[in-house]
Amino acid sequence: MSAKVWAFALRSLARQPGRAILGILGVAAVGALLFDMLLLSRGLLVSFRALLDSAGFDVRVMAADAPALARPRIAEAETAAAAIRALPDVDEVASLRLGNAIVTGPDGGTHDIFFIGADAQTRRRPWILLEGRDLGASDTGGPPPLVVNRRLATTLRLRPGSELTLRGDCARGVASAAPPVRFRVAGFAAFPFDDPKAMTAAARLADFGRTCGLDEKSDADLFLVASREGRGPEAAVRAIRALRLDLHAFSNEEIVARFQQVGFSYFRQISAVLSTITLFFGFLLITVLLTVSVNQRFAEIAALRALGFTRRRVVLDVLAQAVLLVGAGGVLSLPLGLALARWLESILHAMPEIPAAMHFFAFEPRALATHALLLALTAVLAALYPMRLVSRLPIAATLRSEMVT
Amino acid sequence: MSPPVVEARGVTRTFPMPAGPVVAVRDLSVTIATGEFVSICGPSGCGKSTLLHILGCVDTPSSGELLVDGRDVSTLGDAARSALRLSKIGFVFQRFFLLPMLTAAENVELPQAEAGVSRAERRSRTSALLDYVGLAHRTHHRPSQLSGGEAQRVAIARALANRPRLLLADEPTGELDQATGQQIVGLFERVHADGTTVVVVTHDPAIAARTPRMLSMRDGRIEDGASR
Ligand SMILES: Nc1ncnc2c1ncn2[C@@H]1O[C@H](COP(=O)(O)OP(=O)(O)OP(=O)(O)O)[C@@H](O)[C@H]1O
Ligand SMILES: [Mg+2]
Repeated sequence: MSAKVWAFALRSLARQPGRAILGILGVAAVGALLFDMLLLSRGLLVSFRALLDSAGFDVRVMAADAPALARPRIAEAETAAAAIRALPDVDEVASLRLGNAIVTGPDGGTHDIFFIGADAQTRRRPWILLEGRDLGASDTGGPPPLVVNRRLATTLRLRPGSELTLRGDCARGVASAAPPVRFRVAGFAAFPFDDPKAMTAAARLADFGRTCGLDEKSDADLFLVASREGRGPEAAVRAIRALRLDLHAFSNEEIVARFQQVGFSYFRQISAVLSTITLFFGFLLITVLLTVSVNQRFAEIAALRALGFTRRRVVLDVLAQAVLLVGAGGVLSLPLGLALARWLESILHAMPEIPAAMHFFAFEPRALATHALLLALTAVLAALYPMRLVSRLPIAATLRSEMVT
Repeated sequence: MSPPVVEARGVTRTFPMPAGPVVAVRDLSVTIATGEFVSICGPSGCGKSTLLHILGCVDTPSSGELLVDGRDVSTLGDAARSALRLSKIGFVFQRFFLLPMLTAAENVELPQAEAGVSRAERRSRTSALLDYVGLAHRTHHRPSQLSGGEAQRVAIARALANRPRLLLADEPTGELDQATGQQIVGLFERVHADGTTVVVVTHDPAIAARTPRMLSMRDGRIEDGASR
């Protein structure tokens, strides 16, 4: 399409600014929803993957292929971990215990916190140290070390070096009979899977066991495994599966793929249906606007044809108007969509148990390309009917009927 | 001798209607020679507009031949017909049909731009044309800011934009008062005097009387083709 077609289409639209603005705003709203839908359908996957990868472990080993709450523990964990650690495809294994504990705040109120027991031998940690020191492998004398998240630190007014007492609550709701254990805060850490309101503390496995009244060597909830560089997580997974048929090893990739296949596929379907409906409304809006405008301009179009405008030319004019409306609306829809995504994100993060690092809406260049493509397609489809009207317009009959009416 | 600007040979135009076909133009032959100024008149519904549309290549006869510049145009496709209209034929309508969002000058420039005339040439041609129709002072006015007579003069300038050989007008004074109508006819006379072939459809005998040749139509036929 040449510059004169665009310029002419622009003039035609500017002629009824109210209608053009309505169309653009409508497309902007539709485009924003579509954009969010696209960000949403990828966002969860992208950020879930980022969460899994964040600590540097690329394989997870569990006792059963079941959701966390229904999952049995890995028995004889220390032996199993040592055997896995000895595999040539494996670099590191961190044994993890998950539980809860009760702490007493400065105001005397008690708080239920997440309590993690972790191997202190590993170079990688399932958390990111923010301030102070990490759990050391060796004892320095005094109370055992603990790393806490910021929220716990703020609530209990803790500083590195502060002491606090934990009562174990590890057998899923059944308070342990073990006596409370006094810890010293070594540092502050960010735990990737924390939700914004979570209070979390991590201790060495032995101290976790003591707090929960468990045998240190007994079992683990989870092994976090880092494959050896150059070998890759798939090789490590294969080796672990070959070593221990009773254990279930998954690479991060596999976990994301499963997430995508199972729970997430419904989500994708819903998002696809909603996107289609949204686009359909955009399509209707533009078709109606252009059809009305073309209908009002029949005589004028017939006159242009009589003056020598080709059929192609007047048809392209309609297409150009559709593209301009959808293009302007589409551009406007991006900031609108991003703002909407932020707002929705904040609403979703108010839900409990949603890791703060998890993003529902993740921006990827791919989403932008898909967005542009779908809107372009909508513009063309929306222009089809009014284009057909214009292309079939009989010049003489239209000029004549304009005289009669 | 140059061929006639347009020539219809045994042209018939029927419109299929539910109650049976309507014959708007019936086995009609007419030749418009270069440099003529012709009026077509007759009672309402006798086929004047239909004939004008056929002569102007916006409608095709159901049967018969139409030659423009000696060439049969009945087999031309849309693009070729449009190109023909753009370069050789100018149209003036009863209701002007100026584009409301464009100024007088832009309306006159439009067919030139479509024909690929350069911007500079368009500009100078447009101001010359607006000057010619006596509207140099209305260049930047929109159609809504013009009187009916002024709008029709802009429309005539637009019709002349690509220097057509043939200017066709269907009731060009139909929307105007008597005096303004006479001015418009005066303008057509000038256009004719300057070398353009002009055909005007009118039911106003006073206007028909001012043209050297008058075609009187009845029932889709020409009754009396004598030049006076
Ligand atoms: N597109 C059409 N469909 C059906 N009938 C038509 C069509 N165009 C013209 N006619 C018929 O053809 C006949 C001639 O019409 P036309 O418009 O040429 O008349 P006219 O002489 O221009 O009349 P007027 O002076 O009222 O403008 C009329 O009977 C009209 O009803
Ligand atoms: Mg008529």
